[in-house]
Parts: sequence; C-alpha cells; structure tokens
Amino acid sequence: MNKKTHNIAHLNRRGFLKAGAASAAAVGLYSPAFAAERTIKIGMVMPQTGPLAFFSEHVDFVLGQVQKATGGQLTIDGRQYPFEILLRDSQSNPNRASEVAAQLILDEGVDLMIAAATPETTVPVSDMCELNGVPCVTNDTPLEPYFQARGGDPDVGFEWTNHFFFSGTQSAGTNLNMFGQIASDKMVGALWPNDGDGNAFAQSYPPLFDSLGYGLSDPGRFDMPLSSYAAAVSQFKADGVDLIYGVIPPPEFTTFWNEAAQQKFQPKLVYAGKTVQFPAAIEPFGARAEGLITEVWWAPSYPYASTMTGQSSQELADEYEAASGRQWSMPLAYRHSLFEVIFDGLKRVQDLDDPASIQAAFNETDMVSVVGPINFQTGPLPNTCMTPTAGGQWVKGDKFPLNLVICDNEFAPEVPVQGEVQPLTY
Amino acid sequence: MELVNTLVQGTLLGGLFALYALGLSLVFGVMRIVNIAHGDLIVLLAYVGLTVTEFFGVSIVVAAPAVLLLAAGAGWFLQRGLFEFVPRHDPLIPLLVAFGLSIILQNLMLLGFGADPQKLSIGRLEQASVEILPDLHVGVFSLLIFGAAVALIGGLQLMIYRTSFGRALRAVSDNEANAAMLGLDTRAVFRKAFVIVMVTVAIAAMLMSVRGNFDPASGPTRLLTAFEAIVIGGLGSMWGTLVGGVIIGIAQMVGAQIDASWQVLSGHLVFLILLILRPRGLFPKNDG
Repeated sequence: MNKKTHNIAHLNRRGFLKAGAASAAAVGLYSPAFAAERTIKIGMVMPQTGPLAFFSEHVDFVLGQVQKATGGQLTIDGRQYPFEILLRDSQSNPNRASEVAAQLILDEGVDLMIAAATPETTVPVSDMCELNGVPCVTNDTPLEPYFQARGGDPDVGFEWTNHFFFSGTQSAGTNLNMFGQIASDKMVGALWPNDGDGNAFAQSYPPLFDSLGYGLSDPGRFDMPLSSYAAAVSQFKADGVDLIYGVIPPPEFTTFWNEAAQQKFQPKLVYAGKTVQFPAAIEPFGARAEGLITEVWWAPSYPYASTMTGQSSQELADEYEAASGRQWSMPLAYRHSLFEVIFDGLKRVQDLDDPASIQAAFNETDMVSVVGPINFQTGPLPNTCMTPTAGGQWVKGDKFPLNLVICDNEFAPEVPVQGEVQPLTY
Repeated sequence: MELVNTLVQGTLLGGLFALYALGLSLVFGVMRIVNIAHGDLIVLLAYVGLTVTEFFGVSIVVAAPAVLLLAAGAGWFLQRGLFEFVPRHDPLIPLLVAFGLSIILQNLMLLGFGADPQKLSIGRLEQASVEILPDLHVGVFSLLIFGAAVALIGGLQLMIYRTSFGRALRAVSDNEANAAMLGLDTRAVFRKAFVIVMVTVAIAAMLMSVRGNFDPASGPTRLLTAFEAIVIGGLGSMWGTLVGGVIIGIAQMVGAQIDASWQVLSGHLVFLILLILRPRGLFPKNDG
C-alpha cells in the first residue's frame, strides 16, 4: 500500500507499454510517419499517511484535475508527449521520504521530481534530487526552514531544486499583526519542537518578538510525540502567557489543547502552525476551535486564477467542495500550483533528455499561478519564490462548522480584509 | 505551587505508566517470559477499540465490554496457539519469539491501519478538570486513569493472595514442576493467566487511546516505560510497579520544567540511577 502508483489515464508502466504498443501498431498500419514520443516520468512524494497526512488530502482530487485538463498529454515544441505521475508515500517520515525519492530516481528513472508539505518531506526529497542531478520543484514549507535545513548558502543557492511558499517573516509578521489587533499582555508562549520547523522558529523568531515588544516563554525543544504538555502549560501559566505561537501537528495540538483546558490555561489568541491551517484538524474541538488564528497562504478570495484549468480561486475551492463534500483548505491550491509550475516549465524545455535543460526551463519560471506570482529569480533566498500570505481567524461558519475570515493583509495587499481579530472566548 | 503541580501531574502520568506495566509484570512473574511484544499488544488493542467504536458507531465507553471480551479471547489464543509451543527452559527462546511477534504485529498494524496517528474521543470529559487546591487543576480523565491503575492493582493483589486461582498462580510461578507434580493443571493456569493479562492490557489500551495518540510504531516506547516502571519497583511487586511508574512520571515532569527537551530523557536517567543504586528495585519480592 505504500508503493501505490497513481496512474494518469490508467497508465501504469506495463499497461502503458501494452496500450502504446497496440496503438503504435494500429497507427502504424496507415501512418508510419507518426512516431509516439517517449513518456515523461514525474516523481511525486507526499506524506499520505502519518501525522502529516492532512497535507495530502487534496492529492487525488488535483491529480484528477490534471488528468482532465491535459488528458495525460503535454505539448512541448509542437509535439505531444504522454506523461506519467509516480506518487509515493513518505509516511510523514523524512528517512522514508529520502528512500522513496531515491527509488524514484534510481529505479524508475524519473525525469523530474515534485514534493510538498513540511521540511520533513521537501528537504530530504530536494537533497536527494540535488545529489542525483534531477530537476525538482517543491512547495508548502516556509522558505527559511527549507533553506536552513538543507544547509543552503544564500550566496550560491542550489543547482537542481526550486521551491515556492511563504517566508517565515511574512507568516510571523501577519500573525504578530493579528496579535496586535487585540489587547494583551504581549507575553508569547512558544511550542517549538525538535524538528525542522521548530528549530528554525527558535533560531529566527526570538529577536523578532523582542524587537516588537513581545515577551517570550519558551519551554525548549521537545521530541514528539510528547506524552504530556502539562509542564509547558504550567510554565505558561507561571509566566503569564496570553498568546501562543506554536508549530505542532494536529495529534500533538490535541494533547496540548486538552491539557490546557484541564489546567484552566486560557490564552487570548492561539497560533499553531501545521494544525490551525486545517479545518478538519480543528473541527473536533467544537467551539474551542473558534478564534484560532492562522497565516493564510491561499483562500478563495485570492484574486488569482489557475493557468491549468482557467478557474478563479473561488471556482477551484467550489469544485473541490462539490467533488469531495469537504471544506476547501489551503494546501489545495498549492498542490494545484505545483502542476501549473512544472507544466509551464516543461513547455519551455529544449531537450527533454537533458536534465540540465529541464532545470534551466524551471529556473526561468515567470508566471502567475493560482497562489500568486511565481519567479525563482526574485525570492529572498536563491532558488526560492515568496508567495503572498495573509492572516486570518476561524469563526463559526454556516456551510461548514468553521469559516476563515481574513484579518490582515500586510503581506498580500491584493487580498481584501474581511474582519478584525477577536480574542478567544471561554 | 508550581512544584506541587509538577508532582501531582507527574504522579498522575505515573498511573498511566503503571497501567502499561501491569500485564508485562504478570507475564514475567508467572510465566517467566519477557514479553517484548507487550507494547505492541497495547497498541493492537487500542486499534481493536478504534475498530469496534467505528464499526458500531458507539463511544468507547459502550464498546468497552466487547473490547475486553475480544482481548480475553486473544489472550487465550496467544497462550494456546503460540506460547504453549515455545520451550521455556532457556529464557532467550520465548524472548526471541516475543520479539518476532512484536515485529509482525507492528507491520500488520501498519498494513491494516496505516501510519496515521489515531485517538479515541469521549467528548467533554477529556477537557474536564477539578480544582483540588487553589490554582491547582487536575484533569478528571487523568484522575480516572490513576484510579483505574490503583483499582486494578488492588484487584490483582486480592486475586493473587486471596483466591484459589491465585494460589495456583503462585505455585506455578514458584516452581512449575512441583506444582504439576501436586496435580495442578499448569497449562490451564497459564492460559487463564494470559487471559487476565490481556484484560489488563485492554484496559490500559482503552485509557491510553483516549488520553493521547497512538500509531503502529508507538508500542516500543510503551514497552520501555513499562519495563522501567517494573524494574524500579522491583520484579514481582505490583504496588512497586505503581511507585516505579510514579517515579518516572515525576522525573519526566521535573525534567520538562528544566527544559522541554529533558522530559523523556530525565525519566530514563532516573531509571539508570536507581538501577545502579538499587539493582533489585525498591520493593524486591523476597530479599535473599
């Protein structure tokens, strides 16, 4: 079950060869000049199971969209190329991500690689591609954790990998803007675990908080899963914390948020990256989920449209909700845009059999995707692109239990503000 | 007040660790098997609980009797179908069998349930708390777990020292050959013992699955804390196991107060220190 191949146009390797042989034979009867082009192999690594599985919710839907929009064919330089997407599960484990990326490169011989969702996926996959000279595009990991965890040199960058997402500066900026919209004691409690994001946060945020006049109560880097957050909660209470700035996945947040309630720890605002972005992860808390804040990487109110399907952001969200019966969430547009970017790049490739030519085409990317403008030359760090990021708060919804209201747009001025942040009620 | 809170939270966490340890302690005490698969059996029964609740769409409170019955059946089957065939003259052989069972269980669970962490919910009770001292709040569910540990240990103690089956258990545990010679059906005793073990495992599993998350790979960490609790308490002593669990729980909470990265480590450190100071544990069954 971990090695499931997702077959675009029902093409698995064997099936494709059979179908290809049959159609080639059929075509050969009357038009021998029309040679079938070789299949482009696209490797894809996602955390489909494990604590990060929430990030993969939209993968099947988006693959369906890709199939519908392209028919499994890409036109490059006037010629039609079939393509095949080989999807592998990282099981939310960086070692596993590295392993499946190596298999895709060495055993399957993929022409290019895509991956998304947290440093635990994007970093090992990108590193493996860099090592083997395979063009790779990733998203959905803040730029700094991505760059730092890979040991990137800001003067040099990378040869084979490109990445687009928000920057920690935007995310922290918009979250702190939202903290600033309510009256508080400006005392922030940190939940920064011992992983890619947690370490990057601990490295870069304390000076930022300090400069903006926020106090910080940091219990330290902890290993997950943690059997109890009681110690952190009691430290927060002792330090008079009334704002929470964390980055922990949903199962951990559940443990923390339950223990906070048990010990009557009642912060005024709570941000927990990797969790608050997902309505499905916080809905189980019922009314206790209302008022959680999050940075917003994409929402139906974003004024951008897809280059693949032509849909506006609203139409993309609507189609997903109609097809799945589930509420839209931010990763949807990022899964979608990953394909927009690689298809845009592939159209410019001069020589498909030369990885350097594919990489050169990706490096030249300059387009506007459904998540915003993408250009890997302009990012704050080499080989990265910073995408527009707003800030929002979950409130009681009508169609679904929770509804996201945009409350801050300093880093995405094109996205309209819909309301003001309200402190949590108990 | 923070110190009191640390001690109270640590003690309650210790109740959970003691619950993990009870079944392991029984298997070792009676059958002399170091059941490496104990943690995975806890996780397996947590998944059984999850499956039953999802299949019938009921809360784990309602599903509990069914889970206990299934666990009892599984216990009988494990002894009758597996451990009965394992020669026990060399303690290494059952240990290796249990080790193999552990790996098989982990992979079967990964195959069947995927790597997603799971958790059972019982609604508002999870967040409910009582204020036992001014500004000292204790989770109702944590109290419930600690109460379950105490009740279970008390019950097992009564069973072992006050019933005829307990007498048979002790006889088999002391000297299996002699017990058989006196006409005890030792195989039946072992089977019943394993049934009781799995019932305690099921109780631990259900409480654990409501308190926090579990996934197919979380068995070994449960085993480790269980093992440490038993060794600290002294092999064969049930109340000692509770004390051992509480010591690890408090050590973890105190460690976390220093720095969150110390939480798990400090539990192991205290275990090591106690192992050096009191290699036979705090309450060894018989001195000599």
